[in-house]
Amino acid sequence: METRIVLEPAMLQNQGSAAASHIRVEGLTVAYQKPKAAGTLIAVSSANLDIARGTFVTIVGPSGCGKSSLLLAIAGLVQPAGGRVLVNGQPVSGPGRDRAVVFQDFALMPWRTVLDNVRFGLELQRWSGEDLTARARRYVELVGLKGFEHYHPHQLSGGMQQRVGIARALAVDPEILLLDEPFGSLDAQTRDEMGSELLAIWEQNKKTALFVTHGIDEAIFLADQIVVMARNPGRISEIITVDLPRPRTIETMDSELFIEYRRHIRACLMGKVEQSCTQERRF
Amino acid sequence: MLLGIVSFAAILLVWESVVRLGWANPFFISQPSAIADSLSRAARSGELWNNLEVSLREFAIGYGASVVVGILAGALAGRFRIVEYVVDPFLWFLYSAPLIAFYPIFVLWFGLGVPTVIAITFLLSVTQIAANTLRGIQSVNPGLLRAARSFGASERDLLWKVVLPASVPMVIAGLRLGIGRALMGVVVGELFGATAGLGFSIAYYGALLKTTDMIASVVVIVVLGVLCTQALSAVEARFDSWRTGPG
Amino acid sequence: MPIPSSKYRVLVSTIAVLVFLGIWEIAPRAGMVDPTFTSQPSRVFAASLVIVPSGDFLHDVSVSLSEFAIGFALAVGFGVPLGLLLGRFPVLRYLLDPPIMAIYATPHLALLPIFIVWLGIGMQSKIAVAFVGGVIPILVNSMAGVRGVERSWVTAARSFCAREWDVFVKVILPASLPGVVMGIRLGVSRAVLGVVVAEMYQSQAGVGNKIMLYGSEFRTDYLLFNVLLVSVFGFTATWAVRALEEKLWTAGK
Ligand SMILES: Nc1ncnc2c1ncn2[C@@H]1O[C@H](COP(=O)(O)OP(=O)(O)OP(=O)(O)O)[C@@H](O)[C@H]1O
Ligand SMILES: [Mg+2]
Repeated sequence: METRIVLEPAMLQNQGSAAASHIRVEGLTVAYQKPKAAGTLIAVSSANLDIARGTFVTIVGPSGCGKSSLLLAIAGLVQPAGGRVLVNGQPVSGPGRDRAVVFQDFALMPWRTVLDNVRFGLELQRWSGEDLTARARRYVELVGLKGFEHYHPHQLSGGMQQRVGIARALAVDPEILLLDEPFGSLDAQTRDEMGSELLAIWEQNKKTALFVTHGIDEAIFLADQIVVMARNPGRISEIITVDLPRPRTIETMDSELFIEYRRHIRACLMGKVEQSCTQERRF
Repeated sequence: MLLGIVSFAAILLVWESVVRLGWANPFFISQPSAIADSLSRAARSGELWNNLEVSLREFAIGYGASVVVGILAGALAGRFRIVEYVVDPFLWFLYSAPLIAFYPIFVLWFGLGVPTVIAITFLLSVTQIAANTLRGIQSVNPGLLRAARSFGASERDLLWKVVLPASVPMVIAGLRLGIGRALMGVVVGELFGATAGLGFSIAYYGALLKTTDMIASVVVIVVLGVLCTQALSAVEARFDSWRTGPG
Repeated sequence: MPIPSSKYRVLVSTIAVLVFLGIWEIAPRAGMVDPTFTSQPSRVFAASLVIVPSGDFLHDVSVSLSEFAIGFALAVGFGVPLGLLLGRFPVLRYLLDPPIMAIYATPHLALLPIFIVWLGIGMQSKIAVAFVGGVIPILVNSMAGVRGVERSWVTAARSFCAREWDVFVKVILPASLPGVVMGIRLGVSRAVLGVVVAEMYQSQAGVGNKIMLYGSEFRTDYLLFNVLLVSVFGFTATWAVRALEEKLWTAGK
């Protein structure tokens, strides 16, 4: 088999010019205070990552390996205990209009309707010169919730709530989309539809996307690059470049290469592949 | 609602007939018809309205002040940890202590009468409102704060668009419970030392052993309590609609 | 940002209380307030040394405590079973709910003069007030506790052919316990309040009686000692039930 999967030595790549990468993570460590105990829990340990503008990056890894933590650090929502995050070459010190997050637990305001929840981000970012409600309505429709504008979150199914969260993030038109298991509570079919929809939006607007998922197929299908994480301590164990042609279709999933990626990632996740991120592996 | 009326009517009927049949002494438990008489007499003479006005004024001032102070104190304690830690021991002490025991001290400070009643009313309800506000603010889901921050929310935005709306149900529950305690403060304060008011008239007729007039005043207080609580429950239901799911 | 630990919390709270006591002590000494009105921690402490060893004190405390204990025991003994029953049988509940809610919304101490007329100024009227204060929240919360029991648990028990009695004892009783205990917590403070206020209103003995007496004699230090005594009692009793409650909640998870 030809060497088409390149496992990038992240450190090596870091020596490239910082300006070229849209998001750059340097030696990032995220730690949390342990509840009711002294000491800290290392959620992410010295992670390095370089994401070029316009790429779609997926993150896979076992539960609790620090995927959300990595994402939140890039969002500027948790302060790193070490290292730093650069966006457009500028160190991140907090949230910014260039990034929007779709949260794993939706985080919708329960007292706001669907429409007002989508408006929420626009309001906070002080959008003006445009009818915010009309804009919010467009995005509600985009995620397929037309007719539910005036529902409150508790009246929606989990999957519908998740789509509100996606609409809220898309509505503010960020350069970088940070999605934390955005399709986690969707059924398989909606999941595929939303995936294609997301790819379309991404291709249209040349956004950079960072997408956490538990679905291996989904991770391959969407990605230019896959970040595989491991546990204890949470760390990046591999970065895989996906060389599947775009646009991708259902048939892509049946291709030999796709299956090869799948096999490899599964092996990674099961810890069968011994490696560190500085090691280059080909097969 | 209908059942409520039926059930009250049944109670009144049993009460009236038990006395009429001579099974119970009307000196002790009076009877509904006599109470109705007493009420209409008090209404015509203006005594009822006078007492009601005095009590309601004390209630409005004491409760009104406790709403302002309670929400403010609770919000400050919820916002600043240090304030919470400072206020916490006093709040819990006042919350669970039988505050009316401080009554004689208030009499020393404010003299017998209206100011003391207002002080007791205030003190009884303010702790409830402050405690609920604090709890409401503390129990705001941190995930919502994080989501707002991700869109660049300022501290002000966080307060106005997340913290306050999220704690509204809890605050209103505090207001409702506070009403009960404030009413208690008014009545008990007047029971001990006043020259007018519903509590005063209960104590006054009690001393004269006029059971009927005494129970008539109690009935007015019951009605007042039910009305206030119902009103706040209605407000609560309105604000709570987003929180109580269908299940 | 320093991470506030529970030690920090205790420290700040302790300092706040100490500062309060300090000001209370110093202000009258500095002539800023009249000690007749505010007394001082040291005077209250001195008063406690006089009051506690006296036989009167023991008598008052035992009177108040027994009024509370009897009234509250009656409230529990009556309120819990009735509450469970009302929760279990909707017909009964529909019938009794309106008057119960009306009493719940009413300041129960308004009934105090009536009890005095009925039962005299002795211990009985205090017991009655404590009972009425305690029984309503206990009843209402026990009822809510039963109604909050998941229907699916009852169905699950039925699927094992449980009889009505088994369902009640093995499912409904344990599952509604948190509600019952919450009612008891609310009931405790209302019962304590009832006893103290009833004694303050008209009585022959008891801590509340002494509070009123010292108040009329302007003996602020003696008065405050008694006030603090009942406050500490109310606080401790509530705290104890709350601790039990938390234990039950975590056990129920
Ligand atoms: N706010 C927090 N306080 C303390 N520890 C936390 C906090 N958030 C996360 N952790 C810990 O950090 C570790 C990584 O959590 P994280 O949420 O990043 O995992 P994850 O990879 O997203 O898992 P999942 O796939 O289940 O969402 C976990 O051990 C978790 O317990
Ligand atoms: Mg996660």
